[in-house]
Amino acid sequence: MTHTPHGFFKRAFWTWLIFVSVMLVMAPGTEVWAAFGEDLEKPRPEFTREGDVITAKLVPRAKSTSVLLRFLVSGGRLVDVEGMDFKDAVRPGMDNKDFKSELFVIKIDNVSPGGEAQISVTSNFFTSSTQYWVFNEKSKEPWMNGEVQNISLPDLVQQLVVSVKDGGPFDSDGAADGRITLVGGPKDSFWGYALGTLFIRFFGIFLVLGILMIGMILSGKVFQMFDKKKATLEKESQLQPEAPTSDIQPVETVGSELATAVGVALHLYFSASRPEVITHIFTPAISPWLRQGRERVMNARFIPTNRANRLQNR
Amino acid sequence: MTWDQVLELIKSILLTQTGIPNLAIGQVIMVLIAFFFLYLAVAKEYEPLLLVPIGFGIFLVNFPLAPLMGFSEHGNPELIRAFYKYGIEWEIIPCVIFLGLGAMTDFGPLIANPKTLIIGAGAQLGVFITYCGTLFFGFTLKEAASVGIIGGADGPTTIYLTAKLAPQLLGANALAAYSYMAMVPLIQPPIMRLMTTPEQRRIKMRQLRPVSAREKLFFPLIATILIIILIPAVAPLMGMFMFGNFMRECGVVKRLSDTAQNALMNIVTIFLGLSVGATMQADVFLSWKPMLIFGFGLLDFVICTFGGILTVHIMNLFLKEKMNPLIGSAGVSAVPMAARVSQVEGLKADPDNWLIMHAMGPNLAGVIGSASAAGMFIAMFM
Repeated sequence: MTHTPHGFFKRAFWTWLIFVSVMLVMAPGTEVWAAFGEDLEKPRPEFTREGDVITAKLVPRAKSTSVLLRFLVSGGRLVDVEGMDFKDAVRPGMDNKDFKSELFVIKIDNVSPGGEAQISVTSNFFTSSTQYWVFNEKSKEPWMNGEVQNISLPDLVQQLVVSVKDGGPFDSDGAADGRITLVGGPKDSFWGYALGTLFIRFFGIFLVLGILMIGMILSGKVFQMFDKKKATLEKESQLQPEAPTSDIQPVETVGSELATAVGVALHLYFSASRPEVITHIFTPAISPWLRQGRERVMNARFIPTNRANRLQNR
Repeated sequence: MTWDQVLELIKSILLTQTGIPNLAIGQVIMVLIAFFFLYLAVAKEYEPLLLVPIGFGIFLVNFPLAPLMGFSEHGNPELIRAFYKYGIEWEIIPCVIFLGLGAMTDFGPLIANPKTLIIGAGAQLGVFITYCGTLFFGFTLKEAASVGIIGGADGPTTIYLTAKLAPQLLGANALAAYSYMAMVPLIQPPIMRLMTTPEQRRIKMRQLRPVSAREKLFFPLIATILIIILIPAVAPLMGMFMFGNFMRECGVVKRLSDTAQNALMNIVTIFLGLSVGATMQADVFLSWKPMLIFGFGLLDFVICTFGGILTVHIMNLFLKEKMNPLIGSAGVSAVPMAARVSQVEGLKADPDNWLIMHAMGPNLAGVIGSASAAGMFIAMFM
């Protein structure tokens, strides 16, 4: 644990607080921030065609997994679907965050000139509130609500159906020539989604922990009941007089012959493994001359092992 | 070889093989930031177990041409990139840390008073408010979620969620989370005093009932079933957490439990710290976003503390035995620092009021709550 004086933390904290407040005050507004750096969540769809249906696979904004959008046309022939970067359609009041996917350019031909084609976009990614907005830069108001029919299909799939008139306001080429170009994309309210999620998820945590709390209260009651029962049983067993038990434990008896044999064997084993003990050493009487000689020899041997002496010698 | 050729060779070596001409001012600033964190860790002992590896990670990766966080020509990750890739990108290290945390945790106070789980939920208020606040500043939904979770005061959860949703913010988020966790004793007390009256601070709570070993053993199983059924997205974190706790409580794998608590935890902390620090390269870190993250992180902690205390006040309206609102602040996880702050503030109001064990309940609930919040966010983006 920290032994830092409290005063240091206090100073550091207030310095930090002032710094952070200044940063927050100086922070630019939302619109500038929207353009901050690279758009990390820019969806990059991949298109595949199967017969009359073109499928776009993309990781939409605010998702980690890919979704499929299926495009189908009635009243004409679906020629192609391409992705279009939102920056080409940026207009005041329109936030690309409301478009969870990239914009799509849908090209249709074989429409009776001046006639109408129905474009359907189907996905389980849409909700019942998803709209389809159309972009036409030639129009006075480039962004228009596509007024789609939002049809609920089984398995939480929604189908958006847009009616486009050849040469009408949604047709980007502007000419009643039997060809339609529709630019637009599915739109959901970003803030609606964010705030809705906020409430649902926050109360979701209460719900989850509430359920856990109920589970724990119930299981706690059960365990307490078991413990109580166990304690009662233990108390009862302590109160009951214990059955008389013999103090002398049965001992396995060994015959005297066997015991002697084991004893002898052990004695022989340990005698054999015992090292020979020198019981008598001849020590001649040590004369002072001999003792002095021995001391000299031992001191001479000691010199190399004594670090202090070695250093001194040097 | 002519003299000119020698000079050309030296020039070529200097320009392409040494860092000096490639050193940018941003890298120098980052090295200074690394020194600052190392100073805090070493001289001031400020969360040293994490700030030393994080600080050294920042220090290492801000040298030009250093083969640490890139990829080799064959596409193999360089040293710290490999730690990052296999540890954090693959979401292994935060889960292993949760395993160790589970093995260290005694859920007794929470089991004895399950009502405190609600406080753990209430203390996640800041997570969601910050999530909305950051959206106003142009953060994407995923980035906002990863910044919001800082208020959960749970380092591994923050790292887990950020690595999943907004890896570009990993360094800033982790650093903000750990910094503010260390500052809990400074951030929380003013809010606690502001939101409580002296009488409320003096409320004494009944002693917790004893919890049997069997009850503690079954807790991780029951909690795992309920939480993972309701939020499957949180299974990696919660599963490891409860597994660690089961190892601890079952008592038959003491060696494993001991390894999870000590050796394993220490090993992964080294790699976690280095990897997190290594994400803070000058070109990524020196921008407004990390600064804003530090600002919002602080706000997040404040609101989470507020949310926890407010939850106790609301609960007290319905409870016969009132709870001391000071334990509400422990609902931000920051185990056990937040519980200790409740204890200290309680003692200031009444030197005879011991709140530590009561505060441990919401503190542990905060761990479950912040992991659940992370699971909610992950599920939202699935």
